[in-house]
Amino acid sequence: MTPRPYALLAELTYRCPLHCPYCSNPATHTGGEELSLDEWTRVFAEAAALGVLHLGLSGGEPLARRDLPKLVTAARQVGLYTNLITSGVGLDANRARELQAAGLDSVQISFQSDDPAQGNTIAGSKAHDAKLEAVRLVHDHGLALSLNVVIHRLNIDRLPQIIAFAESLRPERLELANVQYYGWALRNRNQLLPTREQAQTALLVAQKAQARLKGKMDVVYVLPDYLQDRPKPCMQGWGRHYLTVNPAGDVLPCPNAGSIPDLVFENIRQGSLASIWNESANFNRFRGTEWMPVPCRDCPQREIDFGGCRCQAALLTGQAAATDPVCALSPDREIVDRILDHAWRTEPDDGLVFRQNPQAVLS
Amino acid sequence: MTEIDPHHRPSLAPRVRLQIDTVRQEPVLLYPEGLLVLSPTAHEIVRRCDGHTSIESIVRSLGDEFDATEEILRQDVLETLADLQQRNLIVLDP
Repeated sequence: MTPRPYALLAELTYRCPLHCPYCSNPATHTGGEELSLDEWTRVFAEAAALGVLHLGLSGGEPLARRDLPKLVTAARQVGLYTNLITSGVGLDANRARELQAAGLDSVQISFQSDDPAQGNTIAGSKAHDAKLEAVRLVHDHGLALSLNVVIHRLNIDRLPQIIAFAESLRPERLELANVQYYGWALRNRNQLLPTREQAQTALLVAQKAQARLKGKMDVVYVLPDYLQDRPKPCMQGWGRHYLTVNPAGDVLPCPNAGSIPDLVFENIRQGSLASIWNESANFNRFRGTEWMPVPCRDCPQREIDFGGCRCQAALLTGQAAATDPVCALSPDREIVDRILDHAWRTEPDDGLVFRQNPQAVLS
Repeated sequence: MTEIDPHHRPSLAPRVRLQIDTVRQEPVLLYPEGLLVLSPTAHEIVRRCDGHTSIESIVRSLGDEFDATEEILRQDVLETLADLQQRNLIVLDP
């Protein structure tokens, strides 16, 4: 039986005022003609009917959508728990009040560093102070606050300072996410991959913070998967709990599935969410364990890590159905080791490419 | 972490919503980027966590409704609340 999804990631737009070089948005996709408020309203209702309980409003920068409060209202009307995933840039008192009144449940704000100068450099924009103001507005309006800091070679040594900074902003949850290499991040992999020593130190720092803050603030630490010997359980399995609708209405098993060359995705403008989730060849392609190659097929971990990430397998080996080459049991692990070797010989500021942003395409 | 005491009047943490998943017909706690499916027992406990009712009163109220000794119910309540406290989903004293 087809599982029912729990969470929908709605990428409202690929427009963004920031230029982070680790962005996972597709580096070649402009976002096309963005779905309208009416179209999103239909998507939210169909998602709730399919079993979705959680909605992430993401982007790009979702605050770039002027109709964001109306989108939140539409989501809450069908009972979705609604989380705004934002840089914080573009939030002012007026919009915070509108979003709170619309029933927004929580806000996740990203920071690039605890240090304003470094934060602004990584964001490619003077965003740090605007983020601090956004945090203040979220507290003032009684919205739940999560913080997210993406971790990479340029800021990983500051992890203790980053955690202390985050604590001072009093979030209920802190996500420290090592970069995953898709989209713009893939272009900057050589500069962003941490060294093994950096990753080992950072893991200990994160674990100590988790223990110290237990019951007070959730600290989630997303590992740098290239440096592990088992793959991440990507999306908790393909087409199992999660789905993504991108700005143009393509329905994807994950935000990066567009990086798998031979998948052509159905669009919400041509079909219902339920029919796409249940019947699409793309969604069914990597469900369960039937599709798995050796060594995954016989692996006791196969229902724990689901063979890792399909996009990563496609990007690194050319085969979406291969074992994620991060896995030490993968016949392709040497590809990851070669990438690491090469990255560790690259200077972090040598040729870093900042994200360029698509022009506004509004319907 | 604060030790749970029968006089505490627990409530859900502000970011947490108790909802009935109408598609799967089960109670769930929803919170930023996560959810917890509740057992029928946990649901009976959680829906009494209104910030006004003490843990002792929750135990008595469950005793009125269900056929179990207060001792067993008290243990269920304390274990459930300790688990939710670990997950940062309840506050003991609003």
